[in-house]
Amino acid sequence: MIETTVGARPPRLTLRRRRQVAGALFALPAVALVAGLIAVPIGQAIYYSFTQWNGLTSTWIGPSTWTQAFHNPNLWTALENNAWLLLAVPFALGLPLLIAMLLHQRVVGWRIFRSIYFLPTAISWVVLGLVAERFFAYQGTLNSLLHFIGLAHVNTNMLGYESTALSALGITFVFTMIGTNTMLFLTGLATLDTSLEEAARIDGAGRWRIFRHITLPHLSRFIQLAFVMTVIALFSALFSLIFVMTGGGPGYATTTMEFLIYQTGFAQGDFGTAALYGLILFVLTAIVGIVQLRLIGSDE
Amino acid sequence: MAEITFSGVTKVFAGNVTAVDNLDLHVADGEFMVLVGPSGCGKTTALRMLAGLEEISSGTLSIGGRVVNHVLPKDRDVAMVFQNYALYPHMTVAQNMGFALKIRGESKTEVERKVKEAAAILRLGDYLDRRPRALSGGQRQRVAMGRAIVRSPQAFLMDEPLSNLDAQLRVEMRVEIARIQRLLGVATVYVTHDQIEAMTMGDRVAVMRGGQLQQVAPPQVLYDRPANEFVAGFMGSPPMNLVRARTSPSQGRVGLAVGDQRLEVPGAYGASHDLPREEGAEVVLGVRPEDIVVVGSDAGGPTLKTRVERREALGAEILVHLSVADAGAASSVAYDEDVAVARPTMLVARMAPQARVDVGDVLMVRLSDERLHFFDGSRGVTLRRGGA
Repeated sequence: MIETTVGARPPRLTLRRRRQVAGALFALPAVALVAGLIAVPIGQAIYYSFTQWNGLTSTWIGPSTWTQAFHNPNLWTALENNAWLLLAVPFALGLPLLIAMLLHQRVVGWRIFRSIYFLPTAISWVVLGLVAERFFAYQGTLNSLLHFIGLAHVNTNMLGYESTALSALGITFVFTMIGTNTMLFLTGLATLDTSLEEAARIDGAGRWRIFRHITLPHLSRFIQLAFVMTVIALFSALFSLIFVMTGGGPGYATTTMEFLIYQTGFAQGDFGTAALYGLILFVLTAIVGIVQLRLIGSDE
Repeated sequence: MAEITFSGVTKVFAGNVTAVDNLDLHVADGEFMVLVGPSGCGKTTALRMLAGLEEISSGTLSIGGRVVNHVLPKDRDVAMVFQNYALYPHMTVAQNMGFALKIRGESKTEVERKVKEAAAILRLGDYLDRRPRALSGGQRQRVAMGRAIVRSPQAFLMDEPLSNLDAQLRVEMRVEIARIQRLLGVATVYVTHDQIEAMTMGDRVAVMRGGQLQQVAPPQVLYDRPANEFVAGFMGSPPMNLVRARTSPSQGRVGLAVGDQRLEVPGAYGASHDLPREEGAEVVLGVRPEDIVVVGSDAGGPTLKTRVERREALGAEILVHLSVADAGAASSVAYDEDVAVARPTMLVARMAPQARVDVGDVLMVRLSDERLHFFDGSRGVTLRRGGA
């Protein structure tokens, strides 16, 4: 039997209003976390960029840090290095894509190869940096290999020269990203409906056309995600590699924005300028992220 | 356009699993052949071998007189409609339909013309700029058809293309597919597990079980003259009643013992069927639900005493589930997918909705004099002389 509620008072809040309130309450912890961990530090960085701060005491000096910073050639060198390192991104995406395509064909021993390719991801970048440093050193593995294949006259010392140190860093970075990006692309390939490929085969497409017209469009979102992750890593996760491999040198040849922040803040004790560099790096990373979000958003 | 021939085609998967066993099947030019059978019977594997998506373990497969065992899918000139449609999600309807033509290197204007022609046949003209995700299930199905017909292939291959549609749309689309196939006159191999689709669409139907072909015939022949008890039980809804019985000759006339009841078998069956003459030989008696009628207690001929266990009203007809009285050790034969199982002796009768039968009624039913089926008790093959 159904009880009737004739004469009962209507609830104070409508269902829609109650849902809005509940939604806001549920979102509150996340908003507080974002504000506490992101917004506040950004605000602080902006404030400190107008001060002279040695880590203990800060003195308001106005916008002079900003004007001086942009006249600092080291800042432009670091930005230039960051820009040059962007050339590593196509390799950090292309090689994993190629490897993922091969692994997806289930070649003999693909499980072992998959583990091998993923291995760098499980190893600290400090260790990878040490290995890379030994690899590129004058008496390192690279020269031994060259010697072994009869190219001893091509002896290299990539980390010792300004012209080649950044390339060595870029190559190491590509190596460190192979595992993550390969896994990402393998995940994407695993979600590709095999009947699409079969339909394309029956439609007359060969391997290249299937890759070009079926596989690549399907992977586009995974490639976009990998691109964002790779660029962010390039801008903000190279510190350990640089620290171990080159210390930012020779000269400033491998000093990126991230490493410049460290040098300015912790080596020179100029935290105000370091905060400003941090803001510049944040803006650069944010621009890449926003552009990518726009690209992804345009399709949905 | 071309004919298709499977000659002793076998497919053995890793682990020595035989999916298709020595398949011999000929599809004439322009014919609509339906492959039907329960899950795992090998029908889809046979189709995929025809498409070139599976290697052939042994035997010969030819399309238009050309052996295609080692020919790549793209070079077989066949078009396939997949169960999930397999539409390219990032392409528009027009691009989906024109993809094969574009790959073939046809000019843009020619591709557009052919796509528009196919779209007109399929009533897709208003949707050519849409992506598949913006289409309903029926529209997607039609695009998949369009992608196939736009190529003017030698053969259409269809792998359960209606199974993802709701019941009403399925009825509409099966009419539509049959219409288009007749219009284009292209040899078509259509795979389904739905015997109603098989009955309504095919010029001929090939029934498969456990990788082996059971019977190939026009739908009505399959229904009226099944080659074995599996085909008899698979085709028709509800399926043919199959009852295990023992021969019981009396005074030169053939009879059957169904439990403690004796069923008179009309003498004509002695001439048309190889019914065992000895006492107690096991046979399977088959009778369609529409061939069972309620009669008075003193009716002669093949009659059985039954009790109404269930009554299902379907609107235009009722299905009456009858248990056979004094059935004793007798049992019914039923198929769970493709495995024969014994069930309590039950008959399902199709009756007019006006029939006054209620659960618990004891009825004397008469089985049609002329439409009885007999199968070998051990091998399940028909006892009709000359086979099916």
